[in-house]
Amino acid sequence: VAIALALITIAGAYAWREHGIDLRLVRTDPARILSDAKLLARAVDHGRSLYGEHCATCHGAALEGSSVRGTPNLGNNVWLYASDPVNVEHTILYGIRSGHPKARNLTDMPALVRSGQISADDARDVVEFLESLAGARYDVPAAQRGRIVYNTTGNCFDCHASDARGVTDYGAPALTGPTWLYGGDRQTLYESILNGRHGICQAWIGKLTPLQVRSLMLYLVTAPRVARSGARG
Amino acid sequence: VTAPSELPKVPKSATRRSLVLAASGALIGLVIAGYGLFSTKGTRIGGVPPEAVALVNLRPILRSDFMTQTEAQFSLPFAQTSREQRRKILEDMINEELLMQRGLEMDLPSYDPDVRNALVAGVELEVTAEVVAKRPTAAEMHAYYESHRSRYSSNGSMQLRDLVAKLDGSGTLDSARAAARSAAADLRAGQPVDTVMKRYGLVDSGRFMTAGHTDLGDIFEFAVRAKVDDALYDALSPLKDGEIAKPVVESDGLHLLLMVKHRFPTAQKFEQASDGVWRDVKREAETRVRAVNIAYLRHRADVVVAPDYAP
Repeated sequence: VAIALALITIAGAYAWREHGIDLRLVRTDPARILSDAKLLARAVDHGRSLYGEHCATCHGAALEGSSVRGTPNLGNNVWLYASDPVNVEHTILYGIRSGHPKARNLTDMPALVRSGQISADDARDVVEFLESLAGARYDVPAAQRGRIVYNTTGNCFDCHASDARGVTDYGAPALTGPTWLYGGDRQTLYESILNGRHGICQAWIGKLTPLQVRSLMLYLVTAPRVARSGARG
Repeated sequence: VTAPSELPKVPKSATRRSLVLAASGALIGLVIAGYGLFSTKGTRIGGVPPEAVALVNLRPILRSDFMTQTEAQFSLPFAQTSREQRRKILEDMINEELLMQRGLEMDLPSYDPDVRNALVAGVELEVTAEVVAKRPTAAEMHAYYESHRSRYSSNGSMQLRDLVAKLDGSGTLDSARAAARSAAADLRAGQPVDTVMKRYGLVDSGRFMTAGHTDLGDIFEFAVRAKVDDALYDALSPLKDGEIAKPVVESDGLHLLLMVKHRFPTAQKFEQASDGVWRDVKREAETRVRAVNIAYLRHRADVVVAPDYAP
């Protein structure tokens, strides 16, 4: 009886300690967790398995993303939205254009040609302009026309910035390459302008616990760092 | 059986104590209930859950929302905000939550049009979010185009005259019919409309007017359709330039419809129509989702309509 009681007490104490660490993980400010190696390691371990279970289907097992689906690479430190822990956690919780009222849905790539805002020829010119920014071979007169469309009737500068480096406040990606969400070839760029794009990330609030969301966020925030050190290694 | 006289006697002081204790219990219960009722503090639970930064009448204010709000308000990373700044945001969020709850308590959505509109718009947006988001594939667009081909054509237009052989006191239907027949023959022979009108005493019906005068220019087919009944439109739509429809008897006389010029609608190829197809596919999908949602809500609702408006 004494041994059983002792074992129960030890197990209880262990469970209580684990629970305490989990509570600390959820309650502590994310930035402080990043400097707490022990807490971070625990969260990242947990987050990695959660990523494999819930995110890898779209974002790829090695965080590589997919230009076919338009899911971003999460391992190259190129972020659509702000990359700080608070913002990444917000994205996981509420998603992107997920239908949740708190989702990131401020902007959307409009179907500029379909809606009649610009012509198909204008779109082709804008594609040449983007190719010029990306350092690819391009048609000079078309790119010059495209630059004007980009900054005037196309309204592209409004979200993607006048230097086309993108704006994370809106989730508008950089259009200067070499990282492309859907692909940087002429046809894909043209289709983006023709039909628009509307990537979706579902809201995980209510599906994952706060502890799981926090762990997943910490895994994703540290993943590019880990990937880089891995590449160097 | 024990006789009542043999039962042990309960001392009077013990009876009084029982009554006093029972009365005190009831009184304390009443005081607690009264406090609960009139203080409206709500029920408290042990503590704030780890993912929340506060509980307002049991509704959590999530840490994540709090941090996002703080960053947005001060344009600083959360880690760089001060305790005072965080406290201010927290107080604001608590106040907002209290006001929101008060709004619900007052049943604001039931009578405030702005709140109602916001609520309706919010629900509709949530219901249609997925459809609005979805981009139709090329295959879906082609399929839609094929099944709605008639919808995708350019606007046709007509230049036409509606001439009437009047049935006034002097004329009979037979004489009007004879006049119409002769007028039709002259018009087919290429004689000017005004000359024929004068010769047979025809007048313009006034059916196609613009700015107080007979419309002698191009009229879009949809506008013609709006001005004539289906039978007449069916008679008009196949007519080519210079052709005349079979005379139609109406209350004011015999109508002779002359198609001066007809620009037929031309069917658009998929490439020309694709923008319209794209919009229509999306619009239809949205309408469908809205209808399904309303049907579902009606199905589970108890709607009673007054007898004078009952379907």
